[in-house]
Amino acid sequence: MQAVVLRGNQDGYQIVLDQAAGFEEIKEKLRELLDNLATDSPVTDKISFDVLSPKRLLTADQHQQLEAIFGTYDHFQIHKVIPDVMTIEDATRLKEQENVHLATQTIRNGQTLEMKGDVLYFGVINEGGRLLTTGNIYVMGRVLGILQAGYPSSEDKIVIGDFHRAQQIRIGEQINIVEPDEVPDDAQTVAYVNDLHVLEYGQLSELKTINPKMYHQMGG
Amino acid sequence: MGKSIVITSGKGGVGKTTSSANIGTALALMGKRVCLVDLDIGLRNLDVVLGLDNRIIYDIVDVVEGRAKLAQALVKDKRFDDLLYLLPAAQNTDKTALSEEQAKSIVDELKKDFDYVLIDCPAGIEQGFLNAIAGADTAIIVTTPEISAVRDADRVVGLLEKNPLKEESHLLINRIRSHMMADGDAMDIDEITHHLGVPLLGIVLDDDEVIATSNRGEPIVLDSDNPAGRGYRDIARRLEGETIPLMKIQQPKTGFWARISHWFKRG
Repeated sequence: MQAVVLRGNQDGYQIVLDQAAGFEEIKEKLRELLDNLATDSPVTDKISFDVLSPKRLLTADQHQQLEAIFGTYDHFQIHKVIPDVMTIEDATRLKEQENVHLATQTIRNGQTLEMKGDVLYFGVINEGGRLLTTGNIYVMGRVLGILQAGYPSSEDKIVIGDFHRAQQIRIGEQINIVEPDEVPDDAQTVAYVNDLHVLEYGQLSELKTINPKMYHQMGG
Repeated sequence: MGKSIVITSGKGGVGKTTSSANIGTALALMGKRVCLVDLDIGLRNLDVVLGLDNRIIYDIVDVVEGRAKLAQALVKDKRFDDLLYLLPAAQNTDKTALSEEQAKSIVDELKKDFDYVLIDCPAGIEQGFLNAIAGADTAIIVTTPEISAVRDADRVVGLLEKNPLKEESHLLINRIRSHMMADGDAMDIDEITHHLGVPLLGIVLDDDEVIATSNRGEPIVLDSDNPAGRGYRDIARRLEGETIPLMKIQQPKTGFWARISHWFKRG
């Protein structure tokens, strides 16, 4: 395979960079290719290329170098660079965000359990304890402390379960101090942030109207 | 090799020092060699409760700073032959005079000579607390049936779970007022134990005599009829591995004449 290949399909033009070729070689071949293009078929319209980089992650610096090469031609530009691979760090983050995590440990006064993604919680949160996550929280344990979903600022997250004895419910930046008898003593309660950015409580049966996106994700 | 037990609570005034003195004395009465270590540096008072305050020559900071040998600083309680000793805290410095390593090395040294090393922890969760748990094999968490004490105990249990000791901690519920518990005005024993999720070691009833005797420098366990003293003796026996049922919380009985006069008052 050549270091740089030009392809065209119905979506437009693609330039495929061979992962086995050195980056210097790719730059050289790319210049050659673009030179040929510019001289062979003089064009007046701007052409955007998708640069495919299978099995190779380009660094920010390499990105800039590619941009610089395209920048020397008036009619060529990069639409986007698409790699087929991702770093383990990104993959882990993605995995953490997509999965539902189980937690069972007791969270005591003064302790904060910080998690990523959705959390299914079976443990006990005592007064002054805090469960914090970037995603949704589903509680089955005894909650006397603070639940914080959508940390730090995702207001589309929800909390489901029995949390009528919790001290506070927080979603994104919205905080509700739970007053006695404010939240029903019921494991089917849903806490969510409404269109007016106010934290509200509803019933699980109303999830379809509360958060249609999530309702459909769950297969409802 | 003995066992070191830290007596801690988080909140002040729940009876850590009284419990240390009484559990230590009860163990000594059972023939165990016990050393009480006061780590409440700057605010020592375990010596006072034991009636040993006039015998202090050197203290724990003197030992750490090399002014005295460990054996020199130990104060012997003459009431119990060669069984009960106290390592007093320093009075003229603060909790930072001691590091965790130093506290641990002293406790380790004492464990060689004694069956039990009881460490009286200061209130709070700062350096003094860290020093106290550094050398401990296990902990007794003292609380009272009050929400503030239970909340602080929960915090301490959390901290101990983060840095686990060799053995599981135990709970001591102190100053139980039987009539309040019977009326439902105080937190229930089961409720506290369940809430904290720590096994219960024992309960001690609130009794005026506890204060009266400690003012005289005599631990309440020396009074064989006192219910609070019995609570501490039961705890000491449970530490020794005996199985003893929990003391029943009884309401003070109203006498015949008291009941008669109650009728008249009602009318």
